[in-house]
Amino acid sequence: VTRASDRIERFLRRPWAFAAVLLVVFLIADVIAQPALLRPVFLGRTLTLVAPLVLAAVASTPSILSGGIDISIGPLMGLINVIAIIGLGMPFLNEPVPMAIAFVVIGALVGAINGVLVAVVRLQPVVATIGTYLVLAGVNVRLLPVPKGPAPAWISTFSGSIGPIPGAVVLMAVPVVAWLLIRRTPYYKALYAVGGDEVASYSAGINTIRVKLLAYTLGGAFAGIGGIALTALLSSADAGIGPTYTVVAIAAVALGGTSLAGGRGGLIGAFIGAADIFLIQNLLTAKGLSSLWLPLLYGSILIVSLVIGVLVVRRSGAGVRT
Amino acid sequence: VSERELVTMSGAAVPIASERASLRAVLERVPLLQVVAVIALYVATVVAIPGFGGVPSIKALLVLAAFVGIASVGQTLVALLGGLDLSIPVLIGMSNVAICQLAGGSGWPFYLATVAILLLAALIGGANGFLSKRFGIHPLLVTIGMAAVITGAVRAIAPQGGRATAPAPSFLGDIVSPASSTGPIPIPPLVLLWLLITIGITVMLSRTGYGKRIYATGSNVLAAERARISTLRVWVATFALSSVFAAITGILLAGFTGQGVIFAGDPYLFQTIACVVIGGTSLLGGRGDYVRTVIGALILTELTTLFSGLGFDSPTQEALLGVLILVVVVFYGREEHVRNRI
Repeated sequence: VTRASDRIERFLRRPWAFAAVLLVVFLIADVIAQPALLRPVFLGRTLTLVAPLVLAAVASTPSILSGGIDISIGPLMGLINVIAIIGLGMPFLNEPVPMAIAFVVIGALVGAINGVLVAVVRLQPVVATIGTYLVLAGVNVRLLPVPKGPAPAWISTFSGSIGPIPGAVVLMAVPVVAWLLIRRTPYYKALYAVGGDEVASYSAGINTIRVKLLAYTLGGAFAGIGGIALTALLSSADAGIGPTYTVVAIAAVALGGTSLAGGRGGLIGAFIGAADIFLIQNLLTAKGLSSLWLPLLYGSILIVSLVIGVLVVRRSGAGVRT
Repeated sequence: VSERELVTMSGAAVPIASERASLRAVLERVPLLQVVAVIALYVATVVAIPGFGGVPSIKALLVLAAFVGIASVGQTLVALLGGLDLSIPVLIGMSNVAICQLAGGSGWPFYLATVAILLLAALIGGANGFLSKRFGIHPLLVTIGMAAVITGAVRAIAPQGGRATAPAPSFLGDIVSPASSTGPIPIPPLVLLWLLITIGITVMLSRTGYGKRIYATGSNVLAAERARISTLRVWVATFALSSVFAAITGILLAGFTGQGVIFAGDPYLFQTIACVVIGGTSLLGGRGDYVRTVIGALILTELTTLFSGLGFDSPTQEALLGVLILVVVVFYGREEHVRNRI
């Protein structure tokens, strides 16, 4: 008995514990409401639907862990989406490997600009990334005033399956592999240290500027992959869609137990939180609710979940920094 | 307490390293650059746009600035606590629809509809403040959630998915028209109202106990609590005020557009933050005031007027606003280096 309760206690101490419980509850509810959900045909489609949200949450995670925030993740995914389509007909867009690398590099570069603004120029993260949000959103619409399609063939394959593996899984696996590699480097601990207490980390000799700069760059690179997932889902480009991911992604990260004050949480939380939000929305739609009611229930569930999460898990230092 | 604060507290002068540092210290106290920008931008607009200038143009400018200025009251107060209110646009939209539907459609007397809307807004805002402070959830998240709840409620309750079926009460149009005057005073009523609000908020922040509690809570929650300030009450009251001023904006906006739409407030999300930031109030709490935001609103409105006059389309304007925010904060929104915070 003791061992079991120990295990439960250890589980509850994980930042994403409550989100994981929610995931099980929502998954059961979703499957009851829509038994077809887990059938292979639907599963591929579902994963394609959820991938951009998951990747947006994953891309938001490093900057939040570093004690900041990146509001511009959504429009950055939108930028990749627009670029992937805008040069339609040009042969180089059909080269999968160079283009995929190019998208990740573009994402990383924009992320690095945010990183410089926050870490080197020392602007407040919210303000700096609202600035880049507006610039990116404006540029996206300038580049592509009206939605346009279709997506290059190699991107569309990600909405199907590559061999036996769903394309969306391949895309979502990239940041996971990158994260597992990062965990083996000293950077991983430095990131959590800086997010937890920047002043103490600086005193301990950590190059806090470089740690924060890298966090935003990494988030940007993940957003590059998110842009590919978004293009695969839409199979076209729409400058208006990308920005809508910012707010949901941050909500997903927080729901996944990652503290917006920094230094606590991780990539698993982003995955689980994004899955929670997707399942809530899916459940509400599957029950045939009028789409007008959807935001009301979604907002209520978000707030109630965050409150219960605080009460049940008693995360230390979550939310408002005091 | 940082070393620098200790020096200040012990009464010794804080050493000023260079001329640049002293200039920065002045700019921290007085929004000098911003006032210069307001004048320079006005001159630039007069030069660049033929036909712009004189009293009618200034009146039109002030009316437009008044909307964003009143909407930014809440963002300023909440920023002084170190918070952020993302539900302002939705509260503008909610009251925009409600005033048309209640006063126009259901035949409520205007004042009764206004009181009802403002009470509801205060309740919603109070909930934002309570949930954020009591449970330690970042206000960004609470207000995102609340915004979704209100959007859903308004779209489900109001006819036509969030569009009022009745037009706005016609006298609201007179209040917000740049051409109208307030009795014998040749100033549009909306601008006069904005002036009164500015005086009221400034007095509240600098002269009342509540104002001092806002600054105390925003600078250091722990110290404020040690000083027996109920920081929870401060948060509840401040977020309630934020929602109330957003609702006032929504009601006035109905007079300007003549209709009620839930999406009426959408442009105000980044605009309110921009006004606060351009004015020089820190989003980290404890530093700034509402006069700065008023100047920020003037700068923002002048820029928008100049940009539209020059024929820039709205995505270009959006991108330029982003660049502007970055340039402005590079000038006076930079944080201290970590080594100075030890």
